[in-house]
Amino acid sequence: MSQAVESPVGAAAAPTEEAGSRAHLVMPVVVGAAALLLALVGAVTTPAFVTGENVLNILRAAALVGIVALGMTFVTMSGNYFSLSVQQTAAFSAIGFAAAMSWGWPLPVAVLAVLALAALIGVLQGGIIAAGMNPIITTLGAGAALFGLAATLTDNRTVRVGSTAAEFLGRGQILGIPTQSWAFVLLTIVAALVLARTRFGRTVILVGANAPAATATGLNRAFVALTVFTVSSLGAGIAGVFLAAQIGQGIVNQFETLNIDAIAAVLVGGTAVSGGDGSVLRTAAGTLFIAILTNLMLLRGYPFGLRILLQGVAVIIGVVAYALLRSRGRS
Amino acid sequence: MRRISGQTLSRLGLAAIVFVLFAVSDPDFATASNLNTVLDGFAFAGLAALGVGVTIIAGEFDLSIGSVAAVAGIIAVLASGLGLVPAVLIAVAVSTVFGLLQGLAIVRFRISSLVLTIGTLIAVRGIAYVLSGETTVIAQDLSVADAIKQRLWIFSPFSLTTIALFVLVGAFLKYHRWGREIFAVGGARNEAQAAGVGLYRPIAVAFALSAATAGLAGSLVSLKSGSATPIAFEGLLLPAVTAALIGGTSLAGGTGSVVGIAIGALTIRFIVSGLSLRGAPFYVESLAMGTLLLLVLIFELVFELPGARSFWARRRARGVVAEA
Repeated sequence: MSQAVESPVGAAAAPTEEAGSRAHLVMPVVVGAAALLLALVGAVTTPAFVTGENVLNILRAAALVGIVALGMTFVTMSGNYFSLSVQQTAAFSAIGFAAAMSWGWPLPVAVLAVLALAALIGVLQGGIIAAGMNPIITTLGAGAALFGLAATLTDNRTVRVGSTAAEFLGRGQILGIPTQSWAFVLLTIVAALVLARTRFGRTVILVGANAPAATATGLNRAFVALTVFTVSSLGAGIAGVFLAAQIGQGIVNQFETLNIDAIAAVLVGGTAVSGGDGSVLRTAAGTLFIAILTNLMLLRGYPFGLRILLQGVAVIIGVVAYALLRSRGRS
Repeated sequence: MRRISGQTLSRLGLAAIVFVLFAVSDPDFATASNLNTVLDGFAFAGLAALGVGVTIIAGEFDLSIGSVAAVAGIIAVLASGLGLVPAVLIAVAVSTVFGLLQGLAIVRFRISSLVLTIGTLIAVRGIAYVLSGETTVIAQDLSVADAIKQRLWIFSPFSLTTIALFVLVGAFLKYHRWGREIFAVGGARNEAQAAGVGLYRPIAVAFALSAATAGLAGSLVSLKSGSATPIAFEGLLLPAVTAALIGGTSLAGGTGSVVGIAIGALTIRFIVSGLSLRGAPFYVESLAMGTLLLLVLIFELVFELPGARSFWARRRARGVVAEA
């Protein structure tokens, strides 16, 4: 059975891989090098950049966006573009977690319940998309509905965690490194293994690379759509739990730029929006790049507008460069 | 042709039902003053829907309209010393040039429009902050907007301009060669290209139009209120897309009508107005609009209207050609 599936997988995936082989090798190196170069520039020009505390700041900031971006990578790899509802899902989860803790639920129960809720949100959207609807439009609508629902349920007020049980989760450190950064590293490894080494991961890649071939070989495209949106929703749920635990509260506009931050991390990392070409490690490198860039600009006192302008420019340069690189590789 | 008019009729029927429901349940709804407000809202959401609708018809998607509207609003307010018309013209001209470049870049670099416009969505929002110095900019002479604020029964210069623009764009799409090219590359891109239709002109025109209408909406709304903030219009995309889809614009590309988009925009403004008359807070509007959009999608799926299963159909049809 596995052989029967495997051989067409190899055959169908081969052309894409061959065409993009240069891009394949070059890109993660380029992003990683760019992040390193940026860190070097920062270290030379900005003394406050290399302090231990600042490195922790970068790691913490990168962690939440990074965890969401990991889930988003599955969506993008499967050829479903992006999700525009992760920030609303994260805020919804943060509120849910804060509420569950304030009701006195034990920590593990609260975490599991919130993750189940996040998964359900993902399944509902994934279901509509699996049935054939455009992912961008579906998640745009779902995001607005989730935002409105969360605000209506809470009367647009802050929900406080109200106990110290979750404090370690949000503010603790293990070996001097924040808990959420550990989670980001662990989840990166898990996600990388799932995408590259499991049958599910390879199915995601194949469906993204060549949907008709995937269907022809009997792979279930609808199931992939359903699963990737559940994965990305789970990533958003984890980020929501961490942030609520960190600041001790949940409110509906808690993650105002998470959608574009996570998408920017995926795009700067160089995962192709056409699907099938990319990796979790690229996304992790993209997340670090943006976290270092943002941190440097903050330390140098750049105003907010200039910061997002430069972030947008980084995304545009990235996608144009990757598009040129890919079309070269193809011709 | 018969079928299209039938669909238009059913959409008109939906809008009429929504209107009657609110008119019956709320005595303040069907007054001239409230309808004037509704039509101004229609002008705003309708303009954005018109632009996004054209890019959807072209088989693409413009996510950047909210940011473009914000920048246009700031430019118009900063230039308001020159008078109403020059200020609007400058803002719209800048937006149009930006949209044109965006369309050209999409074709030239073979980038998915979703990807490029999400980059510009971020960057252009940054420009809005930089241009405004991160604060609300206020028109020096507030009387500059007096002309837009006039009321002509249920109409205003703003809504009349929008209606005129709808007629113009509708005629352009239907009767002008360039307009028909937009339908052609949206519906059957490979066939259109094989028949000698280039991609540059229709895509560039569609994105120029989209940015121009967003810029017009942003500048008129900002001038009307006499101020512009860099954070404005973040939620513009949602009503625009919802209106376009209610109006029967198919996500597969190549199908859609300006009349349908107008009816869609009118329908959602009826709903928004009805909710706000009842004192519903802003987030209920978001809940209603998001739910409405999802319902439209599910409706399309269940009844297999043209455009259902569009996403995968499009991926199949276009393959890797334009989705680099």
